[in-house]
Amino acid sequence: MIWIDLAKLGASLIAIIGVAWLAGRMGLGGDLRIRDADHAKVLANEAIYGFEATEVALDRAGVGALLKDAQGNQMLLRRHGAAWVGRLLDPAMETRLDQGFLTISTGEPGAEKVTLNLGEAAQIWAAGMRRLVRA
Amino acid sequence: MPELPNPVDYAVPAFILLILLEMVWARRNAPEKYEPKDTLSSLSFGLGNSVVGLFAGGAIFASMLWVYQFRLATIPWTWWAWIACFVLDDLAYYWFHRTAHRVRWFWASHVNHHSSQHYNLSTALRQTWTGWLALSFIFRLPLMLVGFHPLMVAFCGGLNLIYQFWFHTEAIKRFPRWFEAVMNTPSHHRVHHATNPRYLDSNYAGVFIIWDRMFGSFVAEVDDEPIRYGIVKQLGTFNLLYSVFHEWIGIAKDVWNAPWKHKLSYMIREPGWSHDGSRDTSDTIKARWREREGLPVE
Repeated sequence: MIWIDLAKLGASLIAIIGVAWLAGRMGLGGDLRIRDADHAKVLANEAIYGFEATEVALDRAGVGALLKDAQGNQMLLRRHGAAWVGRLLDPAMETRLDQGFLTISTGEPGAEKVTLNLGEAAQIWAAGMRRLVRA
Repeated sequence: MPELPNPVDYAVPAFILLILLEMVWARRNAPEKYEPKDTLSSLSFGLGNSVVGLFAGGAIFASMLWVYQFRLATIPWTWWAWIACFVLDDLAYYWFHRTAHRVRWFWASHVNHHSSQHYNLSTALRQTWTGWLALSFIFRLPLMLVGFHPLMVAFCGGLNLIYQFWFHTEAIKRFPRWFEAVMNTPSHHRVHHATNPRYLDSNYAGVFIIWDRMFGSFVAEVDDEPIRYGIVKQLGTFNLLYSVFHEWIGIAKDVWNAPWKHKLSYMIREPGWSHDGSRDTSDTIKARWREREGLPVE
């Protein structure tokens, strides 16, 4: 009986890997990008209901953004597969500025560091995040 | 007493075939409906659930048999008993499911099914590994006390699970009104998986949507508002082990850090509850939405 169960599990594992591989080969998932600041605001409000962004810094490739609301809350919006994830920035998060690139680590298990190409805006937002840390 | 197989075993090839067909549909219509890493994650949840079932299933079935000793009557293996068992098992599922969304202890297990930001047939197989830890099977015990044999209940539970597979899709819009009125459908269940404030905590049905209509938790799908899927605070990772255990980890941290008088509440209150009110629950999000929309307070 145990051999039958093991055979079923083995077949399931092969099927799972096969289906996921096929999904990749078929080009599923697409290539999501943030179109502009207004699009980023909509996505931010969807990520955290009620977040009304007043300022936006958009990654030049459109794969992420930093947003600020009227209360001074700041959000990192980033692409996650074929979807978007938003996180409010807090003092525990690590940041690193390298010219026009701002790298943010939320410190969450399994979440990769995000590097945003913000151009000249990177320094302004990095300074804003430092103020967030001091607050 | 007949010998009964696990019906889910026989349905698995059809599950895989239907997922492949839906992937072809997605490629033609909306490639973003599938995400390969998300699909791999969801299917791995399903496989892990089967593995856990091999170990925990025996203990759970033994518990059901033990409770069956104390039955009020002995219900025979007749056609009407099968129908009654299927319907009552679905009612038990409704209350399990509703509780799983309103009590964090059960949510910690059930959240696994909701943590994908996609809604497709692979999401249906995104099943928990920790249902045994949450003791989710206790919701079925009243059926044994009434007098349904545990084997009959387990078989009906398998059929219920199979029914719930096919409606995890965006490829089907609506069925005829009579069907939508009685049965759970893709439209009703899309609402259940939505994070849009208007849809939070609704449509808990397994097979028959009538339970939601009876107990006041039914919400109809609105055509002009795109649905967003997942959980209120999206996971943001495809890390399988973290995805499986993240809410249990959250409970452990909260219970550890909370003042003594609030520790239990972090296990049994609704997801998102905090003793200082610093977090959002589905109720606070819905209240904010109603205020913004100018709707009366519930």
